[in-house]
Amino acid sequence: MTVQTRLRAISRSNSFGLFVAILVFVAAFHLLANGFTSKVNVYSITRSIGIDGVIGLAMMTVLVTGGLNLALGAIGVCSAMGVGWALQTLGLPIWFSMLLGVLLGTALGAINGLIVVTTRLHSFVVTLATMSIFFGTMVLLSGSNGFNELPHSLTGFGRMRLFGMVSPLLLVMFVVAAVLFFIYRYTAFGREMLAAGANPFAAKLSGLPVERLFVSCHALCGGIGAIAGMMASLRNGAIVPSMAGPLGADWLLPAFLAPVLGGTLLAGGGISVLGAVLGTVFIAVISSGLYMLQLGEFWIQTALGLVLLGAILLERGRAALALARSTRR
Amino acid sequence: MSDAFVEVRGASKAFVGVQALDNVSLSVGRGQIHALLGENGAGKSTLIKILTGVHRPDAGEVLLEGTPRHFRAPRESIAAGIGVVHQERNLITRFSVAENITLEDPPTKFGLFDEAAAVVSTRKWLDLLHLDIDPRTIVSRLSVAQVQLVEIAKALSLESRFLLLDEPTSSLTPHETGTLFEVLRRLAADGVSILFVSHKLEEVLSLCTHVTVLRDGRNACESQSLAGMTRADIVRLMIGREEAMFAAPATSVRLATPALELVSVATSLGHRDVSLQAFHGEIFGLYGLIGAGRSELARAIMGAAKITGGELRIEGTPTRIRDVTDAVRRYGIGYVSEDRKGEGLILAHDIASNIAVTIWHRISRFLGFVSDGMQDRVAAPLARALDVRTPSLAQRVGNLSGGNQQKVSVAKWLAASSKILIIDEPTVGIDVRSKAYLHDLILRLSRDGAAVIVISSDMPELVALADRIGVMKDFRLVETFDNSRNYGASSARIMQAIHG
Repeated sequence: MTVQTRLRAISRSNSFGLFVAILVFVAAFHLLANGFTSKVNVYSITRSIGIDGVIGLAMMTVLVTGGLNLALGAIGVCSAMGVGWALQTLGLPIWFSMLLGVLLGTALGAINGLIVVTTRLHSFVVTLATMSIFFGTMVLLSGSNGFNELPHSLTGFGRMRLFGMVSPLLLVMFVVAAVLFFIYRYTAFGREMLAAGANPFAAKLSGLPVERLFVSCHALCGGIGAIAGMMASLRNGAIVPSMAGPLGADWLLPAFLAPVLGGTLLAGGGISVLGAVLGTVFIAVISSGLYMLQLGEFWIQTALGLVLLGAILLERGRAALALARSTRR
Repeated sequence: MSDAFVEVRGASKAFVGVQALDNVSLSVGRGQIHALLGENGAGKSTLIKILTGVHRPDAGEVLLEGTPRHFRAPRESIAAGIGVVHQERNLITRFSVAENITLEDPPTKFGLFDEAAAVVSTRKWLDLLHLDIDPRTIVSRLSVAQVQLVEIAKALSLESRFLLLDEPTSSLTPHETGTLFEVLRRLAADGVSILFVSHKLEEVLSLCTHVTVLRDGRNACESQSLAGMTRADIVRLMIGREEAMFAAPATSVRLATPALELVSVATSLGHRDVSLQAFHGEIFGLYGLIGAGRSELARAIMGAAKITGGELRIEGTPTRIRDVTDAVRRYGIGYVSEDRKGEGLILAHDIASNIAVTIWHRISRFLGFVSDGMQDRVAAPLARALDVRTPSLAQRVGNLSGGNQQKVSVAKWLAASSKILIIDEPTVGIDVRSKAYLHDLILRLSRDGAAVIVISSDMPELVALADRIGVMKDFRLVETFDNSRNYGASSARIMQAIHG
C-alpha cells in the first residue's frame, strides 16, 4: 500500500469520520456552552469516557459472536459487590479482592456463554434471563446493603486528577483497549474469535473450536464488565447494588452505542477497538455538552437513543454499500 | 428482428474502474431457448441485472416486444413479464412451499390467507415439474435440489412470457435436469422465451437453439443459431482458444495401508454399512444422486456427526474423532464444502485470514502472537501457487470470482498440510478455465501423496478425475470399482449401480 492509498483509506474510515465529528462538537460546545472546556468539566468527561469506554468494549467482545449480553450491567454490579465483600467483610488485600472480582465476572460471563452454546438459544433471551438471575441472587445475598467503607487508597485513586483535569479511570480504559487491540490484531485467539463470529459454520469446518470460542467471548465480556463495575464504584466512592440502575440496565445504552458507532458489526466478526473508544468519546462529549446547555437528563437520553438508531442505520447503509461494491458483475 | 421478444441493444455498463459491459447486444425470439454463456467475470451477471432492473445501463437499451423499457427496480421487470430464477436461493426458508409460491399474490378469503387455495394452485406448478412434495412443507426441510425446483416452479407460477434461468441445474441430478428440460421445451413450444445461463455446455447443446457468448464484457457472438456448432466451437468463443482435453493419468502405486478406511460404518445421520478405503496418492470419487448421503458421510468423517457403528481407521489405526477440531488438527483431514459461500469461506474477511484460519494456533508464538506478516508468509506462497488472481491478500474473499474463491478454500487445507482431503463438488458454478485448473490441482495434490476423496454430481468430471469410484444410494455405498476413465463404460456402471 502506498502512503496515498493508505491515507485515502484512513480518510474514508468510520473512525476518521467519528474523529472529525468529535472535533466539530468540541469546538461547537466550547463556543456555545459556557464552561465546557473548564478543568472541572474535562475531568468529568474523562471520567465518563473511562467507565463507559470499558462498558462499550465489554459489549464489543460479545458482539463479535453476533450475539449480545444484556446481563453486562448485572455482571458488573455483582462483581463489584463481590469485591466489596472481599474487601470489607473478609478483609482481603485490595489486589486480591479485585482479582476475585474479575474472576467472578469472567465466571458469570462464561455461564452466559455455556448456556448460549449448549441450548443454541439466542443470547438475547439467555442474557435477559441471567440478568435477572444474577442481579436477584446478588440482592438476596447482600440484603441490598452496599459497601461504603472502601480503603482510602482505592477511593483516593478514583478521585485523583492528573494534570488537574484527567481522571485516572481514562487510563484504565486505555489499558483495556490496548489489551483488546492486541488480542484481536495479534493473537491466534483473537483472530479465531473473529473468524468464528463472522461465519461459525465455515469456522467450524476449518477446525476452529467454535463453541469454546463463543464461551470465551462471553467470559471475556464478563471479565471486562467486572472491571467496569469496579470503575463505577470508584466514581461513587462506594459499592451499591443500585449503581447501574435496576438490574444494571442503565449500562445498556452506552454499551451498545460505543461499539456500534465505532463500526462494530452487529452480525458478528467485525470490530474496531479504536472505533469503540472514539464512539465513547463522542457520546461523552455530546452528553456533557447538552448538559452544559442546560437540557434536561431525558433530553440527553432521547438524543443518545437517536444517535444509536442513526448508528444502526448507518451500519445497515455500510453493509448495503459493501454489498453493492462486491456485486459489480 | 421484429419477432424478438426481448432485445438488448448496445448495452454498456461501467463500475468504479471496471468496464463490465461494452456495447453488448442480445435478442431472444418468441418461443426460443437462448443460451447466455461466458466465463466468470465476462459480464453475464451484469447483463442479467440490467434485464431484471437491478442495474441501469450507461448506454444502450432494453426492448420488450419492440418497445424500449427502462426498469428502475426488479419489481418493474417482474411486472413486465420477466420471470427470474437467480443463482442464489431466494425463498423464505421458514415459509411453506405454497406460501412462497403464492407470495406475490396470495389467495385470500375474507381478507385472510387462504391456505387451501394456495395449496391447490401450488400443486399445479409442482406437478408440472413432476415434483412430488407436499405444498405445506416448510422450505428449510427441503433438499437443495428440491429448493431449486421450487424456485423454478415459482418463476413459472408468475406466468412470465420471458424466463431467465441463472445456473438452474447446478444442484440438480441428471434425472431432475431432464425433467426440467422437458418442461422448458414445453413452455417454449407455448411461446415462452427462455434465457438459459449455464456453465454446463453439454446441457446448453442439448437444450438451446441459439447462443450469445460474452467475453471480457463484449459479444464474442450474438444471438447465433446453435445448429452445427460443437462444444469446441463454443469453448473457443468463451476463452478465445482451444480447450485442452483433460483426463487424469492412472496412478502407478498404491500403498498397502489406506490413509482413511471405513469398515461397515453407521452414523447418526442414517448411513448403514459403509466401507471404503482412500489411499495416499489416489483420488477416490464418490458419486450419487442428491440426498444419497455423500456430503453427510463427509461430515461424519470430519467429526461433525456421530459414527454409531463400525470402525474408522486412519493409517490403519482405529480412531475415534471427537469433533471437527480433532479431525483437522490431530488427524489432518480437510473438507472443502460444496456450499462455498455459506460454510466454506468467511466472505467478509480477507484472503490471508481465510487461508491461515486452519493454522493460526500452529504458527503463533509466545502468548498466541500472530502478526499479519506471519500470516502472509503462509498465505502468499499458496495464493501464488494456486494462481489466485487478486491485487492483494487483503482483498475480501467476497469480492473474488467463484473460481478464485474455490482456490482459496483449497489453499487453507494446503496450509494445514492435510493428508486426507475431502472435496465436495469441486467445480460447482465455476468457469471453464478455473475448472480445468482445479482438476489439475486436485490431481497434483493426490500425486503429491494426499488421499483425496472427490464428491461430485458431475459425471464427466468424476470419470476424468477418479482412480476409483464409489456409488452411494440411500446412505449406503452400493458399488466400488476401479475407474477405467472410459466414460461410456464407467457411466454405465454407475447408472447400473443406482438404477439397476
